[in-house]
Amino acid sequence: MAALLEMEDVRAGYGPTSVLHGISLSVPEGEIVSLLGANGAGKTTTLRAITSGVHWSGHIRFGGKSLSKMRTEDVVRAGIAHVPEGRGILTELTVEENLKLGSHLRRDGAAVRKDYERVFEYFPVLRERRHLSASTLSGGEQQMLAVARALLMRPRLMLLDEPSLGLAPMIVRAIFEIIKTINQTDRVAILLVEQNARLALEISSQAYVLEVGRVAIKGASAELKGNESVRRSYLGY
Amino acid sequence: MLQRIRNAPPRYWLVAVVILFFVGWPTVISSFQTSEWSQAIILAIAIMGLNILVGYSGQLSLGHGAFMALGAYTSAILAHRYKMDYIVTIPIAGLLTGIVGFLFGVPALRLSPLYLALATFALAVVTPSLIKRPDELTGGVQGISLAPPDPPQFASDTFSAVTGAPMTSDQWIYYVTLAFALVLFWLAWNLVRHRAGRAMRAIRDGEVAASASGINIAGYKTLAFGISALYAGIAGSLFGLATSFVSPDTFPVSLSIQILVGAVIGGLASIPGPLVGGIFAYFLPIESNQWVPTQTWIPSQIAATVVKAGPAVSYGVVLILIMIFAPNGIVGLVTTGYTRLRRRLRGAAEREAGQMPPDPQTIS
Amino acid sequence: MQGLTQQVISGIATGGIFASLALALVLIYNAMGLVNFAQGEMAMLATFVAFTLIDHGMSYWIAFPLTLVIAFAGGILIQRIVIRPVERAPVLTMVIVTLGLATLVNGLAGFIFGYVPRSFPSPFSVQTVDILGAFVSYRDLGVIGVSAVVLLAIYLLLQRTTVGLTLRAAAHHPEASRLLGVRVSWMLALGWGLASAVGAVSGIMAAPILLLEPNMMQTIIIYAFAAAVLGGIESPLGAVVGGVIVGVTVNLAGTYLPFVGGDLQLAVALAIIVGVLVLKPNGLFGRPSVRRV
Repeated sequence: MAALLEMEDVRAGYGPTSVLHGISLSVPEGEIVSLLGANGAGKTTTLRAITSGVHWSGHIRFGGKSLSKMRTEDVVRAGIAHVPEGRGILTELTVEENLKLGSHLRRDGAAVRKDYERVFEYFPVLRERRHLSASTLSGGEQQMLAVARALLMRPRLMLLDEPSLGLAPMIVRAIFEIIKTINQTDRVAILLVEQNARLALEISSQAYVLEVGRVAIKGASAELKGNESVRRSYLGY
Repeated sequence: MLQRIRNAPPRYWLVAVVILFFVGWPTVISSFQTSEWSQAIILAIAIMGLNILVGYSGQLSLGHGAFMALGAYTSAILAHRYKMDYIVTIPIAGLLTGIVGFLFGVPALRLSPLYLALATFALAVVTPSLIKRPDELTGGVQGISLAPPDPPQFASDTFSAVTGAPMTSDQWIYYVTLAFALVLFWLAWNLVRHRAGRAMRAIRDGEVAASASGINIAGYKTLAFGISALYAGIAGSLFGLATSFVSPDTFPVSLSIQILVGAVIGGLASIPGPLVGGIFAYFLPIESNQWVPTQTWIPSQIAATVVKAGPAVSYGVVLILIMIFAPNGIVGLVTTGYTRLRRRLRGAAEREAGQMPPDPQTIS
Repeated sequence: MQGLTQQVISGIATGGIFASLALALVLIYNAMGLVNFAQGEMAMLATFVAFTLIDHGMSYWIAFPLTLVIAFAGGILIQRIVIRPVERAPVLTMVIVTLGLATLVNGLAGFIFGYVPRSFPSPFSVQTVDILGAFVSYRDLGVIGVSAVVLLAIYLLLQRTTVGLTLRAAAHHPEASRLLGVRVSWMLALGWGLASAVGAVSGIMAAPILLLEPNMMQTIIIYAFAAAVLGGIESPLGAVVGGVIVGVTVNLAGTYLPFVGGDLQLAVALAIIVGVLVLKPNGLFGRPSVRRV
């Protein structure tokens, strides 16, 4: 059975600088896959390529269909939610309006309302602040808003770019718990880019390690976690 | 000396040919046509002024018609009321307008390019009413009439020696205009080549970086405004001379647009651009006006409306198309075409050496 | 005192005309960071369309909304054909394009309809009614009413509907909105359509007073600039408040300040523009926010 997301020999870059030199990876239906590696290895660029934020060549297939030449908004409409670096919060709008932009494409009213309830259960602070400007949220709260919004999109695949960046450890744990729950409850596949390799390996079933634009290592997370030399050389712990 | 002449780049020869053309042109065309060409050159001077502001220092002013009006009225009032020799009033008008422009440049520093465009546009629209108000001085709605000057003896003698006919007033005005144009274009060329020009271009391309290199941004931007206004003032003054008449209605907002159109069509940030633009912007409506009525298949009512509306429609379309397809104007097209041709002629050698194509100059 | 009330109410009515055009400017500024110098001419062309419909026998209250629909479509068309090719160009290029558009539309109107001024019907009579001791014309009240309805409708659309939400999102955060599935390019077109329709209201309200001819809106756009700048170029509320203030101020200045009189009222607008931009560039309601692209 083909995986939900398949990337084959993808090259991408910014202008004359090439960042990805032939990435191949796949995300199976309903699984969490980590994308690890040092700064500048190309993790963010990989996610950007999927949602057409950068020019790429090679093959990217989602649910069997090629994503080549599609515009960002159309890739998203096909069922991919992308929480970018910096979270992509629309600070000119309120918290509630941000959430609404998550659900605005959906037609199943009753399910949407249920999802709102779940979102407020996971992140009560969002209910408290719903009518305030999104710019008043702290970093951790913005991350919650971003994840909540992605959940409301009911995507088949979620791309998360460094959800732990700049957040206090307790908040990071809370968010990762919820990410795991979302994956289990909604069967959403997740491609998780993370610097915090340990956390990422804990919740994911598979992992790829990027080095200078290429896949250096790939395998089951459990194995990578257990392999000391891999951890030392590639994951830094 | 001879060596330098022989080694001069082809561009210098082209300039010499162009100058000779303009000097000799009135000898082969009618006096009336000569006065038309005077106006085209006057427009070119105003456009050169705008070009210094927009093309070289990146500030957009839509109010150059207002500066032309200031120059024109200064000269007209000095000549009419105070009986000064008109030619003498021209540099005075230019200087006065330049100073006013410089002072304008000061508050303009605080405005973003968009707001500056907005404010100067409003100024251009308001200008006719501002002129009408102090009617004691400006003659109000009726304006000021001027007597066309007679050519001085030496000029008339030279001219009749060449053509066998005495020089008319219009032809003398043409040569005065041409003289000013040559001086002003030469000044502009020097300005651009040397420190002030480089500073301005650095500012245009990125103020933050320019200020980091220690350039006095405020100084150069206001200087650009002042110089730009000076050019417009001289153009306005010459305009009064050429038409023997100034009135509020001769400086509507469409004049400012015409100057902008000419600048854009000719090519911003270039020296020959304003000349090309001035000729084009001046003659396009006239030619279409003259051409349409001669087409007998167009009913006269429609012809009349087309004559009235045609220029606007064609200006508008041309402006849009140029911005989309050729933002560097005609001169830009020619230069890029020439560069491409040269590269192709020079062959693959350069391409293999991995040379990057030169960036066309753009407005920021 | 009577005279003052009359002048103020009259000023509010003209202010409504300015506010509508100013709102159109604000809508496009919010979408693209651009002041559309062609807004007035587009409004004028729409008014000519209304005139043609009415001239052919259509009732005013049917021609009016139909014209708004046509103006809406026209705005979308203009965005798709003229603006989109230069979307990524520097602001100055786009300004020049809108100036070209203004010249083109003006010439087109002259070409199709000629330059003879025509009288434009108003459904409101010029008869006056006694309010608080002052005689206020039905026309002024009508203009205030219509403007208020249109401005309210735009407010509700932007703030209370999903379409309005996606419009605002696309305008302020285009990249982030794309990641939420918003078709940003179409939202831009929609913004232009809306602006065009709102501007058309301004033209239709102004025509009975000014007489319909291609250069009709050239002074109104200056007043609209003043209103938008005063209110804060990013703020729809500012456009409304600014419009009313400009309308009242210009009216009072024209009536009570002898050196202004009728012909220098436009200079008052210029003074407002320059004054605000130099003293408080963000206007009354604008925020000094950095625009994220």
